[in-house]
Amino acid sequence: MSTIPSEPNQSDKWIKAPDPDLYINPLPVRIWHWLNALGFVVLILSGTQIRYANLFNLMSFETAVRTHNWVAFAVIANYFVWLGFYLFSDKITVYHPELNMKKFFTKAFAQMEYYSFGIFKGAKGPHKVLPYDKFNPLQSITYQIVMLLVVPVQFATGLMMWDIKRFEGAIQMLGGLKVVDTVHVLIYIFFVSFTLVHAYMGALGKTPATHFREMFTGYEEEH
Amino acid sequence: MKVGSTAGDSAGNKQAELSVLTMFFICCMVFSGVLYAQETTEPENPATEIPAAEEKIEPAVIEDAKAVAEDAQVDVKSRLEEILKKNAKCLRCHNRDKSKLLEDGESMSIQVHREEYLNSAHGEISCVSCHRAIGNRKHPSKSTNISISSEREYSVEMNDSCRKCHKTKFTQYKGSVHAALVAQGSTKAPVCTNCHSAHAVETMEDYHVTTGFPCKNCHETIFNAYSDSVHGEARINGNTIRDSHIQAPICSDCHKSHEITALGIGDPLRATCIGCHENVVLLHTQWLPNAGTHLDIVSCAVCHAPFAKRRFDLHLYDNVAKIPVVQKEGEEPLQQQLQAIADEGSDGDPLEIWKQRSGMGQQGQAVDISLRSRMEVMSGVTAHQIANKSFAVRTCDSCHEPNSRQRQNVTVSIPGADGRKQSFEADREALSNVEAANSISDFYALGGNKNKLLDYMLLLALLSGLAIPIGHFTLGKMIKEKINKGEQ
Repeated sequence: MSTIPSEPNQSDKWIKAPDPDLYINPLPVRIWHWLNALGFVVLILSGTQIRYANLFNLMSFETAVRTHNWVAFAVIANYFVWLGFYLFSDKITVYHPELNMKKFFTKAFAQMEYYSFGIFKGAKGPHKVLPYDKFNPLQSITYQIVMLLVVPVQFATGLMMWDIKRFEGAIQMLGGLKVVDTVHVLIYIFFVSFTLVHAYMGALGKTPATHFREMFTGYEEEH
Repeated sequence: MKVGSTAGDSAGNKQAELSVLTMFFICCMVFSGVLYAQETTEPENPATEIPAAEEKIEPAVIEDAKAVAEDAQVDVKSRLEEILKKNAKCLRCHNRDKSKLLEDGESMSIQVHREEYLNSAHGEISCVSCHRAIGNRKHPSKSTNISISSEREYSVEMNDSCRKCHKTKFTQYKGSVHAALVAQGSTKAPVCTNCHSAHAVETMEDYHVTTGFPCKNCHETIFNAYSDSVHGEARINGNTIRDSHIQAPICSDCHKSHEITALGIGDPLRATCIGCHENVVLLHTQWLPNAGTHLDIVSCAVCHAPFAKRRFDLHLYDNVAKIPVVQKEGEEPLQQQLQAIADEGSDGDPLEIWKQRSGMGQQGQAVDISLRSRMEVMSGVTAHQIANKSFAVRTCDSCHEPNSRQRQNVTVSIPGADGRKQSFEADREALSNVEAANSISDFYALGGNKNKLLDYMLLLALLSGLAIPIGHFTLGKMIKEKINKGEQ
């Protein structure tokens, strides 16, 4: 689909929508994504401050806990923007354009091959981004696990530790505060790595800024 | 598959966007509403009931007493005269400055000052009411061949005579830590007369705040700490605290007078503080995250005695019965049992092994014992150095900064059969030891007892988070250069 007429100049890219057919990331998704990104950075920083008060001094422990609590609630509220959007719009299909396991694995291996070899040779990505087929199989499976399992578990464990007394029953059921905390920290460790890799992969577009710009404008540029 | 949907969908998309945005704002409103409600809701006062220890006399008993008194009114005068006459007989000798040689070689004054006795609370009671044995013609003397082994033994022996009239108080005393120590053979723990004196008997209604009598006799350092504290100063200066009817506490306000307890074990102490400082739960909730939990596991003095040395005090908690595990009577102290297990060199956590061996879990009982921890001050002296609240520690770092932990001691405590807590020092590493994780699953303090394994995992995650992008990027660059070279 070569709908982009010619290479638009740098300033045009911000103003003009290159192709109305390639409106990939609608406003709620963009709002959710960037608020979530900001929230995660603050949560990781304040969380690191809480856990390693002896190594960092970005803010006092009290401020760190207070910030962590408030931002966490904002991130939880924001999660429902994402969930609400996908539950109440037909865009939910972006996660499952086709329920075909064979095709899924074939495409997944093609994507892995691309990241391992093709990308270095300047080959085009095997996945073509479309409004109802947004993710490559690797993205699709990763984001589903993260958003439907990892993130909710992180919210739940965090909520329990926000008011230990109120959630005493649940904490005991899960095996004690130490268990709940360990799960929360393990997921934090995962997100430290995830955020870095996610940002790097975001820079693997046509130019390092391409995917970042797409996430602001909502329009896919690479086709 | 909806690949290639046209721009016709975009109007529908915009509509969906609008509705989702509206939902977002509603979600935010609901969340902030819930949060606000949580912040402003007054928490339930978790103070446990303050037992009303005062002796209560049934109205019926009072009525009976009145009736008897009316009947006996005629007799009272003559009975009193008789008692005084009898006492006069005793006082004739005992009013003099005389001593008696005891079996232990010490001599004991047997002088009873007539005026002091007559003016005492027992002034109208005959001597033989208490000295019953003497009334039965068993006066210690050479002729009766009755002697007294030691002054202390005589006091302990005589103690029982108080029971006759002061039943409730005596029962309370019997349950106290003082009585438990006497029963164990302590030569210092007080009997009734140590506080109330034997003959110049006083009620302790007028506690000697400035001299500290009687508690200071044995607990001098603690009394001095108290008298310099916000409580002691207020009381000595006669100041009342907050409301005009509440006076600053003296020893017995917190420790009780007859059923004296060691307040070292958590809940009773907290209930005692909250008994007067009713709004503390609310005040802490206003600024302290997890205020309820903090108030549960941090002893008040930890923050309110600002210069106190602190410690983590681990105790065994029975999660089924929901009570702390108490040392069984006649059992070897827990410390020695655990040490013995550790010395055997068996693999694993000594506590887990102890739990399996100690017989709990037999007869189908569920075993669910874990170590819980409290923050306590190091000594009883510091526990009394409560300062004005403007000096209270409010910096979280003093407990939650990992290095601050290294300076703090870790003890394991178990209440003994007599109610006193036995503490012994434990290894600091116990709190972050992976092997002990199961035993201390209920204890976790932010920034504190971190599991070191998780720290290494974080380091690994951070390194991989950097190594993957850098590696991938470098590899790409190298390959591109190779390809370019090949093309040239």
